Amino acid sequence: MTHEPGSIVAVGGYLPLLRLDRAQAAKSLRHFGLGGRQAGYRAVAGWDEDAFTLAAEASRAIVESPPARVCFASTSAPFIDRAHASLLVDALALPRSTRTLDVAGSRRCAVAALLDALLGADDALIAAGERRPAKAGSPSHLAYGDGGSAVRTGTNGAAKLVGWASEAHDLLDSYAARGHETAYASEERFIRDIAGGTIIAPAILAACTRAGIAPGDIKWAAVHEPLSGMWKDIARRTGITAPNDAATLAEQTGDLGAAHALFALALAFDAARPGDHVLLAGFGSGCDALIFRVDAKVPGAAEARAALGLGEASADYVRFLSLSGALDLDFGVRSEFEQKAQATVLERYGRDTLGFIGGRDAKGNVQFPKTAIPVRPGAEGREALEDVRLADLAATVASVTADRLNYTPDPPFWFGLVQFDNGARILMELTDAGPAGFKVGDPLGMRLRIKSVDKRRGMRTYFWKGAPAKRPQMEA
Amino acid sequence: MATGIKDKVAIIGMGCSVFGERWDRGADDLMIEAFEEAIGDAGIERSQIEAAWMGNALDDINVGNSALPLAHALRLETIPVSRVENMCATGTEALRAAVYAVASGAIDFGLALGVEKLKDTGYGGLPLRTKGLANDLWMPYGSAPGTFAQLAGAYSAAHSLDGGDLKQAMAHVSWKSHQNGALHGKAHLRKTVGMDTILKAPMIADPLGLFDCCGVSDGAACAIVTTPEIAKSLGITNPVVVKAIQLSASNGWEMGYGEWDGASVRNTQVAARRAYAEAGIKDPRAEISMTEVHDCFSVTELVTMEDLGLSDPGRAVFDILDGKYDRGGAIPCQTDGGLKCFGHPVGASGLRMAYEVYNQLKERAGDRQLSRADFGLTHNLGGAPFNSVAAVSILGRLD
Repeated sequence: MTHEPGSIVAVGGYLPLLRLDRAQAAKSLRHFGLGGRQAGYRAVAGWDEDAFTLAAEASRAIVESPPARVCFASTSAPFIDRAHASLLVDALALPRSTRTLDVAGSRRCAVAALLDALLGADDALIAAGERRPAKAGSPSHLAYGDGGSAVRTGTNGAAKLVGWASEAHDLLDSYAARGHETAYASEERFIRDIAGGTIIAPAILAACTRAGIAPGDIKWAAVHEPLSGMWKDIARRTGITAPNDAATLAEQTGDLGAAHALFALALAFDAARPGDHVLLAGFGSGCDALIFRVDAKVPGAAEARAALGLGEASADYVRFLSLSGALDLDFGVRSEFEQKAQATVLERYGRDTLGFIGGRDAKGNVQFPKTAIPVRPGAEGREALEDVRLADLAATVASVTADRLNYTPDPPFWFGLVQFDNGARILMELTDAGPAGFKVGDPLGMRLRIKSVDKRRGMRTYFWKGAPAKRPQMEA
Repeated sequence: MATGIKDKVAIIGMGCSVFGERWDRGADDLMIEAFEEAIGDAGIERSQIEAAWMGNALDDINVGNSALPLAHALRLETIPVSRVENMCATGTEALRAAVYAVASGAIDFGLALGVEKLKDTGYGGLPLRTKGLANDLWMPYGSAPGTFAQLAGAYSAAHSLDGGDLKQAMAHVSWKSHQNGALHGKAHLRKTVGMDTILKAPMIADPLGLFDCCGVSDGAACAIVTTPEIAKSLGITNPVVVKAIQLSASNGWEMGYGEWDGASVRNTQVAARRAYAEAGIKDPRAEISMTEVHDCFSVTELVTMEDLGLSDPGRAVFDILDGKYDRGGAIPCQTDGGLKCFGHPVGASGLRMAYEVYNQLKERAGDRQLSRADFGLTHNLGGAPFNSVAAVSILGRLD
């Protein structure tokens, strides 16, 4: 290596609104009890969220300056041959000259991509999102969680990579395959012994050696456990005494798959003080262990921790089954509506739609979408509109209803006119409704969500939706 | 200098099929049903019709595109037939086209026919349709009640209503229409319904309950038009004439520019203002005898009363509760039951409204006959409050 490894400049984490109360859910499955978590919460993606939108949301706050490279990491990416990193470039309104790459293959892919970016000292965004399918009743259905995380790398960040090590090991703790999308798991006792003893612990110890520190010097850990409760054994084997934020995260949100370790890293960074060493370990078909020295507060870490406590607890197991795709509810004839997106139309409007780019006319009025002749009264001819990104701007509900006739996978269908503070007015879907729903004047924030799903052709489109500007605080 | 359409065209025949769930009839049967009544009423030969316009809003559901379904159903021989479509204003558009053709002198006899066969969709409510490939990328697919429910919310907010009075007034709108529809043998819904039932109905789109929404129907309606002079030559001494037909359409202002408060429909206001001017109506509250308005939802009728200038802004709630628009009130509205109860086969509705006004003006309305029927107003509203086409027609007698 001819240059210093890079550092982490900022982190991001995003969780969906709903948190399923596992204990309540377990009561719905009387035979449930052969394994899996039965306490804490499981973060549940809305019908209109997927691995891509979750990753995009996690990334929004850390791309104020455009990165040179974007990497999308997931094992549940919606597309097989369509790069989500390129979609991220549009969703985050980044330059088309951005280098892009999707990684997958195991839950470890995001950490592996992060290590590569750091070793290359790249100015990169690693964005991970996960919404993994699981069979109802399986331990993983409640153990998994949906969420996104992101890391921005650079050369002068607050957390410097000081040690690292990798282990490649095809351990069949669980796997998913084409035609078998849900995980098939091996015996837990076998996983605990092999994963902990021969893969994770050796990688951590090798990373410590490279960093020139003793395991006991590690103050905070973000070690992705293959199974809950393994940290105690790994800590014993390595001599680490630090708490594992990845275990805490799994308890509160579920295992976020490829997004898990990076989210946990944000929590560890939030707890760390200058001078502390933080351990990150990603697991899956091997292990990548990274050790950081934290020199200052890492931007985004506090926000990621705050996101843990913001959500809406739910005990509605049937709704969870439907949202997680484990139950195919019959929504009637109205749900048969065809929503085919044409490639030619996406080529013309896709980037502005995904990036929520409106236009400012000659008199300063902002509108979406852009049109040749602006919507401003009195405009009589073509005007060149200046691009305005609306995704991060404040807005309020101008009119709204809960439409119970229109089809949506999670009724009712909320929509209305949304008034942006900059003057733009847009008819939009609203999402993440709380128990009280929406009313005129409610403040909104924008969320990137699935707009349409074309099951017949395996296609989906994305657009932004209005969501409550603030989320409720979960009860402790 | 344009002089408008007033008194230039007479309606000499009208027909209307039975509206409703016409399981045993196809679109062609419905067209024939309406046409046979109209041609019999007009007293002319079918061969005298020189051009026809077919109004059909949802061609992909059943009837088919172009106007050929009309030519086929009626076996019209090689005359020009054209299809017009402007959402729920489609029926009035068909009438407007025929009226303008006669007024221009291009033809002596024109036919306007609106038809819709909605009950083959397999479900209630209007079908969900694409909004265009580019719009589909971002625009929500709200249902019709979903779009008009927002009118209710914005109206409440604009006039500081607590919702209770509005809900009562909306219920009264539907109650009144059921009272009237029960008297019409061709209406889709012919039962009276109590206020309590209306108020306790399941919610469709907040705050619109089931009885705040019109259903969708199968049906057709038809008009035959000519010049007043020809009408008189046919022995019609005091023909019903068109006093005004006006349209106003959104250009995106309501939903794309932050001025509109959502509590009214600008296109109705504009179309009404133009129609009154065209018809020479100076004081609509005194001169308009009756209205047939686009009560797709109860709140639409309520707000329309203000947009037509028949109630002051914010006062329609109280005028409605005072009975001003009941059949025995000062300006009866929906004497045939309206969209709510007569039914709403979209492309036919504008002509169905004209059919009721025509029958009232000719004193043929039976149990529904009003003691005073000088000027009757019809109002169609296509689309959504924030993106609409409004059509306002005024019919009266020549003298």
